Amino acid sequence: MSASIALAAPASMASLAAAGPALPLQFADALIEFLSPSTLGEVILRGIAEASLYVMIAAGLTLVFGLMGVLNFAHGSLTMLGAYLGGLVLVAAVAQSTGGVGRLLAFGVAVVVAFGALAALGGGIEVGLVRPIYDRPPLYQILLTFGVTLVLDELARIVVLFYGLQPTTVWQDVLGTKPTFLADSIGAAGVSVSGLELFQILFGVATVVGVHLFLTRTRYGLFVRAGSEDSEMLSALGVDVNRVFTVVFALGTGIAGAAGVLLAWDPAWGASVPLAAETLLPAFVVVIVGGLGTFRGTVVAALIVGLVDSSMTWWFQNFVDFTGLPEMVVFLVLVITLIVKPQGLYGVSEVGGH
Amino acid sequence: MSADASPDPNADASADPNAGGDDRVADESSAEERGDPLLSLSGVETYYGDSHVLEGVDLDVYEGEVVALMGRNGVGKTTTLRSVLQLTPPREGSIRYRGEELVGRETHEVASRGLGWIPEDRRMFGQLTVEENVRVAVPDADDADAALELAFETFPDLRDRRGAKAGDLSGGQQQMLAIARGLVGDNDLLLVDEPSEGLAPLIVEAVAEALTEAASDTTMLLVEQNLPLALDVADRFYVLDHGTVVDEGDTDAVSADGERLRRYLSA
Repeated sequence: MSASIALAAPASMASLAAAGPALPLQFADALIEFLSPSTLGEVILRGIAEASLYVMIAAGLTLVFGLMGVLNFAHGSLTMLGAYLGGLVLVAAVAQSTGGVGRLLAFGVAVVVAFGALAALGGGIEVGLVRPIYDRPPLYQILLTFGVTLVLDELARIVVLFYGLQPTTVWQDVLGTKPTFLADSIGAAGVSVSGLELFQILFGVATVVGVHLFLTRTRYGLFVRAGSEDSEMLSALGVDVNRVFTVVFALGTGIAGAAGVLLAWDPAWGASVPLAAETLLPAFVVVIVGGLGTFRGTVVAALIVGLVDSSMTWWFQNFVDFTGLPEMVVFLVLVITLIVKPQGLYGVSEVGGH
Repeated sequence: MSADASPDPNADASADPNAGGDDRVADESSAEERGDPLLSLSGVETYYGDSHVLEGVDLDVYEGEVVALMGRNGVGKTTTLRSVLQLTPPREGSIRYRGEELVGRETHEVASRGLGWIPEDRRMFGQLTVEENVRVAVPDADDADAALELAFETFPDLRDRRGAKAGDLSGGQQQMLAIARGLVGDNDLLLVDEPSEGLAPLIVEAVAEALTEAASDTTMLLVEQNLPLALDVADRFYVLDHGTVVDEGDTDAVSADGERLRRYLSA
């Protein structure tokens, strides 16, 4: 690994050095190209599509942390289970001859099934495992949910192997259930975007709107926001805070499950056991950048991370020939945030919890 | 206990044969007339970790009266209220509300039986609006509009700021909101903790007025160090010292300057 980096770095530097005095000119050309409406439009749309995925995988994490003060390390594993469960529904429901609308309907069913099953599992985990240790220091909850992650990942690996699939590679059959129009590019006004990216944007926007309406327009949402500030006072007003905790934990894990189904159709992610860790890391980045426990912060942070990532990806693909770097940029955003504003964009010094 | 009793503030009332003698006999006879207490604490012992805060508190609150709970800082007044609400559950003793044991119940179960808490530091939901703070305290969402009207009628200042975040209100307005939240909760007993603390004299007057009005149809257990306010609003009083009740009686029996109580209240 280190040897390949050692070899790759001089080669890349050599290519830059070879460019020599032409570099400023190349940069100017690249900048003009980047700022052209078609390129910028594509980069922005791709960034918003990425942001939609980040919101989906991080929403549950931030809701749970905001209300209960519990950092759920099992969140990525629940997304992974959602991907497999949704994939199972899609593979079972979609045949070669199934049309585009039929495939979308199957996707809807898969989302409902994954949401319901993961919400039930999340509710069970909250009542059975997390609730008894609310009064302990946060380290206990981190260790517990980390343990749950190990158990769920290993269970998934065993089950997937049992059915003759390779746990570490993407479940290709699920990718095959996608309607063809989602794989096509759609162009308008010189801007070309894939159908899948538009689908992800629609799904992400629907999730943000749904969670926002839940938080601001429902009585339970009012309890969630109040409980995020002071759960003891909320219980003294006659509200069964434990039940609110269970509902929010279930909602959070349900959204994680739905996110998994969406990712199962994306060849860049796909249903696989490593999806658990692959989603947990960016989810944490987004939640920390936005400010732990604030949904608004999560949405804004997802947009920032998504747009920075898509911009950097373009630059590293078209100007600096080193495609490994864009992924690091996401973590660079995290580092800069922690240095400049450690509590995150919309973070407060304290969040709810027991 | 008479006004010229032992000046030692740490003296145990039970050790003084004259302590509270006549008053307690009078209280017992009036208690018979009043029937069973609404709230009754008996031998309540509460700890914070290893710290023994309440060392056997006995007190009764009867329907319709305002009872002041007084004493210096750190003697266990707030802990008594927290024990009633099971926020800090007692390890020993009994707390009965309408004859029903509260010890061992969840806080929300206690609260939903009609016990409202107006806490010492107001405990607003600062990111929620004034209106949302009231709404969250209403047990039945269908009653929310009527509850809001009651809150705004009692405290007209809040009506103008109904859309403002509670965290942006002044200290006095926050106290009004805290009291409003207690009033709209369909409560039969309000546990009010230091409502005048940190407020300007003019605001204290408004708070006292609101509490007096609230007391006309709600029973109240009031923790208050502001002696004139406590004597003005309350019908009876208990004095706590070192986690036990050391004096009790009718507020009418206390002179206007509160000399009998002052030695337990000054630091």
